[in-house]
Amino acid sequence: MNRLSIAALAFSLVVSGTAKADSVIVLNSDEASYSILSRSTRTEVARLPVGREPHHLIVSPDGKEVIIGSTATNELLSLDINTGERKRVVKDILDPYHLGFSPDGKWLVTAAYRLDHVDIYHSDGFRLAGRIFIDGLPSHIAFDAESKTVFVTLQQSGRLAAFDLATQALKWNMPIGNAPAGVVMLPDDKRLLVALTGEDRIAVVDPKDGSVKSSLQTGKGAHNFFPKGDGRHYFLSNRVEGTVSLIDTKDDPKVVGSVRIPGGPDCMDITPDGKELWVTQRFLRRVAIVDIDTLKVVAGIPVGKSPHGVFMMKSTATVTSGLPVRAASTAGSPR
Amino acid sequence: MRDLIDIWVGVQAGLFETLVSPVLYHFGLMAWYEPGYSAVEFVMLGVVQIAVIAIAMRFFERRWPLEKAGKDDKLVTVDRVYTMLNKLGVVPLAIFIITYPLVQEIELAVRTWGYMPPRLERMLPWLGDNALASFLVYFVLYDFAAYWLHRGQHAFGWWWALHSLHHSQRRMTVWTDDRNHVIDDLIVTLALVLFSQFVGVQPGEYVVILMVGRLVESWSHANVDMSFGWLGERLLVGPRFHRLHHALSTPAERHIQDHNFAPVFPIWDILFGTAIYDGKIRPTGVDNAAVDADNGRGWIVQQATVFGRFVRALMPRFRRRVSVP
Repeated sequence: MNRLSIAALAFSLVVSGTAKADSVIVLNSDEASYSILSRSTRTEVARLPVGREPHHLIVSPDGKEVIIGSTATNELLSLDINTGERKRVVKDILDPYHLGFSPDGKWLVTAAYRLDHVDIYHSDGFRLAGRIFIDGLPSHIAFDAESKTVFVTLQQSGRLAAFDLATQALKWNMPIGNAPAGVVMLPDDKRLLVALTGEDRIAVVDPKDGSVKSSLQTGKGAHNFFPKGDGRHYFLSNRVEGTVSLIDTKDDPKVVGSVRIPGGPDCMDITPDGKELWVTQRFLRRVAIVDIDTLKVVAGIPVGKSPHGVFMMKSTATVTSGLPVRAASTAGSPR
Repeated sequence: MRDLIDIWVGVQAGLFETLVSPVLYHFGLMAWYEPGYSAVEFVMLGVVQIAVIAIAMRFFERRWPLEKAGKDDKLVTVDRVYTMLNKLGVVPLAIFIITYPLVQEIELAVRTWGYMPPRLERMLPWLGDNALASFLVYFVLYDFAAYWLHRGQHAFGWWWALHSLHHSQRRMTVWTDDRNHVIDDLIVTLALVLFSQFVGVQPGEYVVILMVGRLVESWSHANVDMSFGWLGERLLVGPRFHRLHHALSTPAERHIQDHNFAPVFPIWDILFGTAIYDGKIRPTGVDNAAVDADNGRGWIVQQATVFGRFVRALMPRFRRRVSVP
């Protein structure tokens, strides 16, 4: 389906009022667009332009906006979390490849993957507090529960670095393994899981000093995590092997399930009812839908080129963003 | 259409996951994971281009040849080697490995300084909403840059030393376009990549522009006497238009090759006064015995010989500088 026919379909849905926000947003990183998918019909209802090379997206601290990082235009684009309408563009956020708000909502941290620096902003007004240049492709971000420390994987140098948010000072920078990417803090706030994309395992790291406590074999190209939502289990995409592992983190982490998802599985999200896991397949230009109970792929949805970040709109409001609107990079708006 | 895309990406993913990904993973080259996947697509597009050239374009050459079969037919063999090496990614891979870090460093420096290249969508907002218009505008801009680079290849002695290899072919065919020295390819690629980044061409658009542009250029070298008509000849470069650019210079037309430079859109030659539309059929090649000697040589010998020509074109300057007291 070409872009025009997608737009026509979206228009008809919006006009007829049948497009409900059972929507899912998928960032097509290689074609400067994002897809809006329908959970109920499992189809793409619209594909809209957005900046350049969008990779990841997050929810704002007040829960009202979805924020997309447009890496090549150095901008953030925000969408209304209920309606999907474009809210604003935040300029001069350099190379926001991966991004995250601290749990207390006071800090926004971005990993500039291509430009080799980590930026710490005050969330209020997106004022830059500190820019730390660090070699090795800053890749993914995690925070401690107290919002004092941010942890950043360095994919090229095989290290994990910790920075004090208030002072922006480096706390430690430790070797972890080959090509670390996804990183997540477990609810006990005492263990970090780090996915090693250059290996077939994850590392369990002590957040106090960066020491590796143990490791767990998962699948080749261990890449990114997503919580199942029970505070105990995490999904992990293994990009090279083409699988998603289910990890039980109680006591020593162990793999308790796996599902084959070809095409470089990457980012994930779970439907609000907790029944389905949606996974972007970077190379196949698709999103795979996995039944969580059976760990089987039940459907797939074609999207754009190199789909990366995926996000479930949790609200039930009507989607009104079905019409193509001005690209993020052109919709000049105040910070 | 979606079925075609599924087949295409299925083949691409299959090739990548079977042949490339295990190698990158084994040697710890995961930073090249995404570029590796794009490289597979580049090679696949190369296969498509070769198929279009070998089947469709050659059909016209066989059916309506301008120059009949003769003793110079064997000179075409080396041009086929150039096409294979270029279209299947051997030469582009070498160029990519050299230019990628350099381009990254330049981009890093520019962005670190806080300078944002003026993206076209900022000046022309409607472009962001129209994929076809966006593609065409970027294609025209890309061709504009390529036109001036081509003029540079003819204007500077050291650059002509490299580019003359392309012009030395006496037997122009659909295979001639890729006949270039690797250093020439390197310079042009680097300049066009930087230009594309400056104006905001997306990686996906760049690949399509490259593919469509190179197919038009392959066709413009075809050994056929075909015209797109008065208007068509002014909209798109064809064999008749480009053949004049390869014409053998004579005392009466000493600078005949300094015309019809445009790679795809003749508008640049029309605007800048370098267009000639006289419909005359001229023999092709170069009026220089040393350069003409490229004909009959293989790929390696041509590359080595032309590199020597390039160095000699640069050396006199160095010698003069050294001799200055």
